[in-house]
Amino acid sequence: MESDVLLRKTFEVHGLDFDKAGETSAEVKAILSDIGMDPDIILRAGVVTFEAEMNVVMYAARATVIFTLTEEDLSIEVVDDGPGIPDIELALQEGYSTASDEMREMGFGYGMGLPNIKKTSDRFELGSEVGKGTRLLSVIHLNAK
Amino acid sequence: MSALAHGFRIDEEKCQGCLACMRVCPTHAIRVRQGRARYTPERCIDCGVCLSSCQWGAIAPTTSSVKDLCGFKFRVAIPSPVLFGQFPAGISPAHISQGLLMLGFDAVWDFAVEISLVDRAIKEYLENWKGPLPLISVACPVVVRLVQVAYPRMVDQLICIQPPREIAGREAKRRYSGELGIPRDQIAAIHITPCQAKTISILEPAERVESNLDGTLGISEVYNAIVASANTMKAEPEKPPKAVPIRSAALLRSCLGDGLSQVLAHHRYLHVTGISNITQVFDDIEKGRLRNVEFVEAHSCWSGCAGGNLTVANVYVTLSKMQSLLDRLPDMDRETLAEVERRYSTEDFGLGRPILPRPARGHSGNLSERVRAVREAEALLTKLPGLDCGLCGAPTCKEMAKDVSIGDALLSECIYHSNDLQRSRESKRIPKEK
Ligand code: SF4
Ligand code: SF4
Repeated sequence: MESDVLLRKTFEVHGLDFDKAGETSAEVKAILSDIGMDPDIILRAGVVTFEAEMNVVMYAARATVIFTLTEEDLSIEVVDDGPGIPDIELALQEGYSTASDEMREMGFGYGMGLPNIKKTSDRFELGSEVGKGTRLLSVIHLNAK
Repeated sequence: MSALAHGFRIDEEKCQGCLACMRVCPTHAIRVRQGRARYTPERCIDCGVCLSSCQWGAIAPTTSSVKDLCGFKFRVAIPSPVLFGQFPAGISPAHISQGLLMLGFDAVWDFAVEISLVDRAIKEYLENWKGPLPLISVACPVVVRLVQVAYPRMVDQLICIQPPREIAGREAKRRYSGELGIPRDQIAAIHITPCQAKTISILEPAERVESNLDGTLGISEVYNAIVASANTMKAEPEKPPKAVPIRSAALLRSCLGDGLSQVLAHHRYLHVTGISNITQVFDDIEKGRLRNVEFVEAHSCWSGCAGGNLTVANVYVTLSKMQSLLDRLPDMDRETLAEVERRYSTEDFGLGRPILPRPARGHSGNLSERVRAVREAEALLTKLPGLDCGLCGAPTCKEMAKDVSIGDALLSECIYHSNDLQRSRESKRIPKEK
């Protein structure tokens, strides 16, 4: 059974907006630290949001990030209308990246994004349709053993 | 938990409730309620900005006093390199050291050796580090506290290597206790400090182990005595000062920001000064934007410790004096180098215990209660005018909303919601026509 939602927030992220990249994750982290969340959880939520945001900035035109907190877990859902990922398995391999040299120069796109999100999450879902977009869900349990 | 010690006191008698300190505090630790400034110890990072902002002299730093030295058999002064850039031309480092001896110290320590040791240790640590980057220097206690309070996720990035002054304190005690046969606890190692933050790093070390130092004297507290003793010395040229305080440029370089940068020449290294600049850089680190930088040396004061709040001379004058002193000294001397070589492999640089985040207030209760408070603060914020006028006694409307949400303040303390204003609004309201 789904437990009650304590807090839900929706953010818009825009593609190619390098200047604002990282703001959603900063906001998520600020909210979590206001709540007095465990620093480890905040760190993980920050990593997930940041990496997801970076993917959007690099590849999509626009995406919605939905952050949901319950008593048990915290989930981050990112839905974009980007080009989609043709080969999900490949995209989840560490070091695989389609980022341009220019993006790499700026420190973006080292092919760590998706694998990193997966590693950081307790539950991870990734679905994509070429030409339509991508939906990513990352869940972090609050009371990990 | 016992109350956190801090490097200053607010004198309620002298405080005029003018809001100046509240407005400048970078961590929003100060509130002015009932016309008096108070601060939340958990949030204060000892930057000292409030001290300098108070024109009523109501905020005073706590340091040791010369009197506190009496209880010890042997007293070593460990002066910050900045001390040597404070005095008018004609007062040489030798005069300055001699002045410290006149004040009651038995020895003056040149901690160039410890600075070089620590620089090397940092390089080695960095080269073996596998965790998140960049690593952050712990030399400035304010930076350490800023991370604990405002960037709790980054505490692991604080480098676990003691600052040179701490290693100097330990070595001074070890050496003099060996040479003179005095027990270590009867030797006082006193840091002559440019800021009250270092005092607090001794009274309440962030890593919760005991400091090797026994206290501090602010530069401003020893300044006049040193000038007076130098003038006496100059009047008796037949008795020149004996002390040899600075052997090489290694001591001064550290404060001019190019000591570590030389050692870390092949690493990506940033040197940041000024708390607002540091906040920007730390925000970027938090956002993951500075992943390519390996080491950040940060100093809370503009231009580093030369701008510390217990210094006397203008920061730029100090820097230029230190530069000209440095130009006249050998780059490195044989004695310092030999000691660095001798001690490096056996020196214990570790902090002893890890630095942990410092929990903030208002985080009591279970998760749903805490979320409720945050949501309530959000809702309250929409009712506040967003002027950040500070008249309610909180530095911003956002802070005020949080204060109200946890029961620390009343909405009616905002002038916008004050009872008077409400009443006058009520009375002006045009009665509805019947
Ligand atoms: S020392 Fe700094 S952090 Fe502490 S209350 Fe003063 S301004 Fe705020
Ligand atoms: S920069 Fe130096 S003087 Fe200023 S607070 Fe930090 S340690 Fe003290």
